[in-house]
Amino acid sequence: MKPVKFSTIVFTMLVGLIFQLYPWSNSGIIIRPDFLLVIMIYWLLQAPYHCNIGWVWFAGLLVDLSTGSLLGQHALTFAITAFLGLIYQRRLVLFNRWQLYLYVIFLFGVQRALILLLKLFAGGEIPDWTYGLPVISDLILWQFMIIWFGELTRPKKL
Amino acid sequence: MLKGIHQQLDPQESPAFFIQGPKPFPRLMFFCALSLVMMAVDARFDYLGQVRQWFSTALHPLEVVASAPNEWARNINTYFSSHNQLIQDNFKLKQQALIDHAALQRLATVDAENAHLRTLLAGDAPIIPQATLGEVMHMGRDPFSNIITLNRGSRHQITPGQAVVDEQGVVGQITRVYPYTSEVTLITDKKLSIPIQIERNQLRAIAFGEGKRNTLDIPYLPTSVDIKVGDKLVTSGIDGVYPAGLAVAVVTQIKQSQDSPFAKIISRPIAGVNNHKHVLILKVPDSPVINQTNENRPFLPRNNAQHLDQSVVDVLQKNNAAVDPHPVTETPVLDTGVPEANTNSQGLTPENTPAPVAPEHP
Repeated sequence: MKPVKFSTIVFTMLVGLIFQLYPWSNSGIIIRPDFLLVIMIYWLLQAPYHCNIGWVWFAGLLVDLSTGSLLGQHALTFAITAFLGLIYQRRLVLFNRWQLYLYVIFLFGVQRALILLLKLFAGGEIPDWTYGLPVISDLILWQFMIIWFGELTRPKKL
Repeated sequence: MLKGIHQQLDPQESPAFFIQGPKPFPRLMFFCALSLVMMAVDARFDYLGQVRQWFSTALHPLEVVASAPNEWARNINTYFSSHNQLIQDNFKLKQQALIDHAALQRLATVDAENAHLRTLLAGDAPIIPQATLGEVMHMGRDPFSNIITLNRGSRHQITPGQAVVDEQGVVGQITRVYPYTSEVTLITDKKLSIPIQIERNQLRAIAFGEGKRNTLDIPYLPTSVDIKVGDKLVTSGIDGVYPAGLAVAVVTQIKQSQDSPFAKIISRPIAGVNNHKHVLILKVPDSPVINQTNENRPFLPRNNAQHLDQSVVDVLQKNNAAVDPHPVTETPVLDTGVPEANTNSQGLTPENTPAPVAPEHP
């Protein structure tokens, strides 16, 4: 398979940012996926030679700036999530579809849990069960990324 | 020659160090530390405000692109909204205007009398705030905070701390200003508190937002306090941010427990904090107009009960009507300042007061 172009990554990041900036209504915000997180995790696993923890961290920073929340908290959770994805990257590309779904759900769940933790430290309140819903829409978006940009590339058989 | 060797190498086969740079763990530690420092700096100091400003300006075109589909949908919707609906709305609004005018006529007299009495008592002139019409762009992207974003920013002379109201009552306060937009923290947010007064008996207190539940809490009042369910809370105006007398909330629940010396008083905001399109951003003048008290004139500028020029309230009510026939995308800045009120002060009834600024729709 051809290596991914770096410009593709930047372009999808921009598109993700636009979706992030879309004025979501009250009910929309409950199911809104974390566009930038899904896109960047996909590229991290698909093209680790272009997209490293730093880029995912930068995407988190963009989310922080666009939501107007405390600068650095999304960036921190994105970086940790990226790390958890990256250390298993070699194995993940060998997984079958369902194993991969499970691991990806785990990653998105970890990110949301970390954000929740940070917000609770800052004096937030515990949200209701709908807080977990975006993980499902994250997974749907993940599937779209797979459709548009292909399954994760396996290394060539020797 | 070296370049040639480089090109022959497949990225998979080159040494790991050159592909990945530092190992993931040190990299993670670096970025974790960086974000922790940023969080600390952002929370404690004000250095990063400029970064936000700069970023917001750079992002403005993207934001416009992102909200374009919504804008188009609304325009199309407006285009096809039925003629009947418009006639009905028009009729309803005219009736409402008639009722309001009847009340206003009495108000003008009472105001004049009030002003006269104030001068007799050598009191200060009531503070008349200026108002800017703002449109709600979106309800905030962070599900944790009760923030709405308006389409007015520092380019429109908006400053942090200004009060935001709709035609029913207080919505919130401007907390962060970008060049073209500004963030309003709603009164139901946990971080916001608002000095209030109970309308019935003028008891002063402070109401705190309760976050997700969309209610206000009034703590630190003893169980014996004279508050009933249904009491209306209005702003007391002693903070200099909110003009006095704006409706805030209605008391809905009072709990008294044996083991606490304080009553638990819950109230519901009057303003539609979550379902509005247009709001007013008030600017309270720094100090009351002094020269008028010095001149000892019998009449002070006419001011309405809501402390807002009626025309501005009219515009607001029209814009928030069920069907929005002309969404105000580029509204002229409505400054209903003191000088203007001064010119048409002397005993003009609302009927023959020309609306100072009416938004012209094409």
